[in-house]
Amino acid sequence: MADSVSNAPKSSLVSHAPATSGSGASQRRRYRTPSGLQWILPGFVVSVGLIYFCIGYSGYISLLPWNWRPGNPETIQGFASYLRAFNSPLFWTSLQHTLVFFIVAYVVQTTMGIIFAAILHSKVYAATLFKVIIFLPVVIAPAIMAPVHRRVFAVDGPINWILQHLGLIQINGLGNRDWVGWLSTALSHIGQGNVTPNWIQPSTSVWVIIAVQIWSSIGMAFILFYAAMGQIDPEMLEAARIDGAGNIRVLLWVVVPNLRPTIVSLAILNAITSLKLFDFPYLITGGGPAHSSEFLGTYIYSELFGVSSHYGYAATLSVLLLILALAVSIIMSVSTREGRPRRKVKGVRV
Amino acid sequence: MAVLVIPFVIPLFTMVQGSLQGIGWGNYTAVFQLDGLWLYFRNSIIISASTIAMVYFLTMAASFGFSKLRIRNKELFFWLMMGALTMPEVVLLTPLVITASKVGMAGTFWAVIIPLTALQIPFTTLLTRSYVDGIPDALFEAARIDGAGTWRQFWSLLVPLAKPMAVAIVVLVLINSWNAYLLPLVMLGQGSGNQVVTQLTNAFSSQYRVDETKILAGAVVAALPEIVAYITLQRFFERGMAAGAIK
Repeated sequence: MADSVSNAPKSSLVSHAPATSGSGASQRRRYRTPSGLQWILPGFVVSVGLIYFCIGYSGYISLLPWNWRPGNPETIQGFASYLRAFNSPLFWTSLQHTLVFFIVAYVVQTTMGIIFAAILHSKVYAATLFKVIIFLPVVIAPAIMAPVHRRVFAVDGPINWILQHLGLIQINGLGNRDWVGWLSTALSHIGQGNVTPNWIQPSTSVWVIIAVQIWSSIGMAFILFYAAMGQIDPEMLEAARIDGAGNIRVLLWVVVPNLRPTIVSLAILNAITSLKLFDFPYLITGGGPAHSSEFLGTYIYSELFGVSSHYGYAATLSVLLLILALAVSIIMSVSTREGRPRRKVKGVRV
Repeated sequence: MAVLVIPFVIPLFTMVQGSLQGIGWGNYTAVFQLDGLWLYFRNSIIISASTIAMVYFLTMAASFGFSKLRIRNKELFFWLMMGALTMPEVVLLTPLVITASKVGMAGTFWAVIIPLTALQIPFTTLLTRSYVDGIPDALFEAARIDGAGTWRQFWSLLVPLAKPMAVAIVVLVLINSWNAYLLPLVMLGQGSGNQVVTQLTNAFSSQYRVDETKILAGAVVAALPEIVAYITLQRFFERGMAAGAIK
């Protein structure tokens, strides 16, 4: 979709593209092109200025004592609070949650996104309605939906209601919900015997967050794949069909390879989302119980505004998160650069 | 298809069904009788509108400069900006809180609008610049030969030609600023009259009392403008978000 948009204005005057190899002409042109510094400066100052200032300031605070807070004497202690972070199991737990989230969300989003897009590309009844339902969660604020999801996963909420009516949950003598006999036996065989149908508990809370976040972002994957599928040459599909390929085969061997650029950009998008994750974990579980659904964002927030605020340590964690984010943005830029020539080749051929 | 969609419907269904339990429509009456309900919306509108306006003009100007004008070390500036592309807002929290209270901006809308704008610009500039790169330089040269200054070129050429990009910018920034939760929470505080739409459901939960049905009614009221906006402008939303996601 974006491809066709960005190519649109090019087509009309493409022969006049700035292919000025003659040095005289290019020099004269350069001389005449007015300077543009003042045009980029406002945006540059607001974004780069503020963000880099904050980064520098964070870096400075991170060198202060870990429990430093505004008003305390600013004595530089060096990298002590970084050691503190590396030695903190909580830091590694939240990092691990971030990584697990990234992998699971990416796999689910890609498969479901492709499946939804494929189904809606073949003519189905009420396609627009389905499209709206799938994309709506992308639009509604996570903070608004969070209490709803708390309700959905509540002990007496809809998820357990469905499981109960599917015969997987029974109400035991004490009036509490419990798994039916064979299921609890199965769970205890895999070492999860103490897991009750209460979703906001240490062994499952992180999965609630992952499920909810996937719920709210599948629509995005779907829209991207839907757009990308619309650009596939119909002749290619027809050729595959003439060669005797069925629906599933066409999808796996013709459609999916054509979606590769989207699959790559979805990975980057997901990496950013997983580093930014805050609203849902903060509002649904608060990172708990017992830090079982802590992510880097909620960890930093709790260090800042928790029972006692540790600005120094929060800044240290921010710097570490920032290094991760920077790594992602470098990967993103590299893959964008690599992606460009390929696209141009495609444009020429078409 | 209908089966696959069920997980998507469950939360929406729960939201509406839960909001009508207990005292039924009374939950909605309670939401609408909430003190300063309109302030939540007003604050969100102010923040979103200002952020959109700032991001739009700063992005257009920057893309114009990066793409069509002569700047020394242009790519260096561009890469510096792209370095800020994936910045999670929580990273900026510590320094922002300290700085905002130092310069006396804490509690003002600016303390939310400026960081929100700063976080959007790298991305929108990346998008818009690659779009403006596709507009032939010859058009701008022709205008220059005809005597149009840079201002004139910006307003009469770039702004109209980059209109498709405006849709993407508006949708992206609207969703990101309207849905913002962390920055308004931290910067504006939780005092009454200072809150935004995403905090509406908090009004019915306190340490002592959590009124679940009213919370859900509040969620419906808070989500409704977005749902209506999306359904009426469906094509623009989908196009804008998709353009935003593909670099």
